[in-house]
Amino acid sequence: MNLFENIKMALASLKSNKMRAILTMLGIIIGISSIIMITTLGNILRKSLTDTLNSQGGSKLVAFQITLKPDYVRDYYMTEDLITEEMIENVSKRFADEIQDIVIQGGYESGKVKYRREDLDVYINGVNPGYIARTSDEIIAGRYINDKDLAKGAHVCVIGEKQALKLYGGIKEAVGQRFTVKFLGQSHDFTVIGVFKTKMTAMMSAMTSMNTTAEDWSEDLYVPYRALSKIYGRSDETFFAYYALVNDGVDPTDFCERVKDYMNSRYYRDNDSIEIRYMTGEAEMAMMDQVMGIVSMVISIIAGISLIVGGIGVMNIMLVSVTERTREIGVRKALGAPNSAIRSQFIIESIIICLIGGFIGIIGGILLGNVAGIIVGTVAPPSAGAMVLAVSFSMAIGIFFGYYPANRAAKLDPIEALRYE
Amino acid sequence: MSKTIIDMKGIVKSFYVGTPNELEILHGLNISVPEGQFVSIVGASGSGKSTLMNIVGALDRQTAGHYSLDGIDITKIDDNELSSIRNKKIGFVFQTFNLIARTSALKNVELPMLYAGIPSRERARRAKELLELVEMSDRAGHMPNELSGGQKQRVAIARAMANDPAIILADEPTGALDSKTGRLVMDIFHKLHKEQGKTIVLITHNPDLAEETDRVITLSDGSIVGDRMIGGQNGGDAE
Repeated sequence: MNLFENIKMALASLKSNKMRAILTMLGIIIGISSIIMITTLGNILRKSLTDTLNSQGGSKLVAFQITLKPDYVRDYYMTEDLITEEMIENVSKRFADEIQDIVIQGGYESGKVKYRREDLDVYINGVNPGYIARTSDEIIAGRYINDKDLAKGAHVCVIGEKQALKLYGGIKEAVGQRFTVKFLGQSHDFTVIGVFKTKMTAMMSAMTSMNTTAEDWSEDLYVPYRALSKIYGRSDETFFAYYALVNDGVDPTDFCERVKDYMNSRYYRDNDSIEIRYMTGEAEMAMMDQVMGIVSMVISIIAGISLIVGGIGVMNIMLVSVTERTREIGVRKALGAPNSAIRSQFIIESIIICLIGGFIGIIGGILLGNVAGIIVGTVAPPSAGAMVLAVSFSMAIGIFFGYYPANRAAKLDPIEALRYE
Repeated sequence: MSKTIIDMKGIVKSFYVGTPNELEILHGLNISVPEGQFVSIVGASGSGKSTLMNIVGALDRQTAGHYSLDGIDITKIDDNELSSIRNKKIGFVFQTFNLIARTSALKNVELPMLYAGIPSRERARRAKELLELVEMSDRAGHMPNELSGGQKQRVAIARAMANDPAIILADEPTGALDSKTGRLVMDIFHKLHKEQGKTIVLITHNPDLAEETDRVITLSDGSIVGDRMIGGQNGGDAE
């Protein structure tokens, strides 16, 4: 009695009870599809996040920020604790060979721009020339803020493509124009020196597509941070954090360790509560993975429970099937079927229920995962490992929950079974 | 001298052995059936016919005594060997046909060969041949629920012949059929007996049918009370 015959027999038996077979499979389908869906979704989010990070400097971008020492005596910051321009300057000199760019965000203000009769919201970002490296922006007309603009605190600005189109009717036309924006209770004039366009990554476009106002208006614009300092009436600027973009071939973690040690030993040794801490793109990725890991684990547990419940359903139906077919089993035994043939007949039937359920579940999971993926804007293949795992797991359920009913069938006494009504 | 197919000596069958309810159904039967004999076993219900049939058919083991079938001592063999004996040496024909549902006539006939491990092409060839023998070729693809009682029984007989068994064991094969189709089924048994020299054991409570066979063994209360050859002679080797 070979496997192929058994499979044909099992399929015939399932076909004669289609509705029951499908209902039995449901638990397995739900369990497997949730596992496949979550792994597919995990891949999608991971890919999407990697794309976004890469467009913003990726793993080459590292952040330094002030943080509380483990043995801090106060839990608030003071002006003296903040990172100064001088510190950043010294770091960039000391590590000049390794640093491609320093990225600084200074002040940040929300303001209004007049357009015909309405006031449009804008956000004014005070930045340094290196800032563009940590955004997904590219300059499409004019230029970005340069060192001279920064040094002078020049009233120049780089505006978004949509702002240029709306306010000046064109991208090239915008360059050189006066840009008047009201914030901190006063109007301030800037000269447009460049227009940027944001390269949308999948995740970003998904997020903005949910926010309809972003369609015809982008709110961010950039000015030299010292221009804002001047408006604030400050002569120099201090920061909670700054970024560095390291050169190719530099190990970000190693670089960060050395910069951290340099800054802490030079500027924060005598500080009673504050020190410098760093964050790498890899660390961000690892954090994301950790979150995804927890989400996957929770869903896997739920899926696992559903699979066990599904398996019990399979066992239940197999027991019913054995009872229903008692007489058939008796006849088969009378015709010379050994116990092993009866056992394998029912186990294979149970495996087939689970495998079909598993395959439907895999297809369902891929579809569900990718529907979610389309919403996020990235489509990713499901992980092959998860599929192999799903198939082998459903097979294992088939064997595990099919064994008991099959064994019961195999051990039936042929005389009793033949007499069964 | 033809060889002995069924050789039973002192067959005792008891139920609930070792309990106070111990019940002896068969009381030391001696039966010997030579190859090619068409023998019927008759008796009222409760006479032990079915119990005897189960033992003859290797579905059950005797409590005491010796039984050898076609030269094989089946007193002390395990379940797997017993199923192999049923598969190769015995062809069952049941009162209620017992065709496997949702399985075509052809596949039903193939089933014993499937368990015997015969390759599928050979199975199909032989199954067709057997269906022809019982004049059911034109219904080979039909499911059991598309067949009449007589047709089902003919398929069942073809199935019983599948592995060319040493004996055909028919338990009230006409019991569920009207007299006309019953006649047809009996004719097939006679044909198998005459043309192929099959050894056939027919269990029945119908004396008219028993009279058609070579020999009638009468069972009553678990003992043989009559054993005669049709046509006058005494069976001699049963008591």
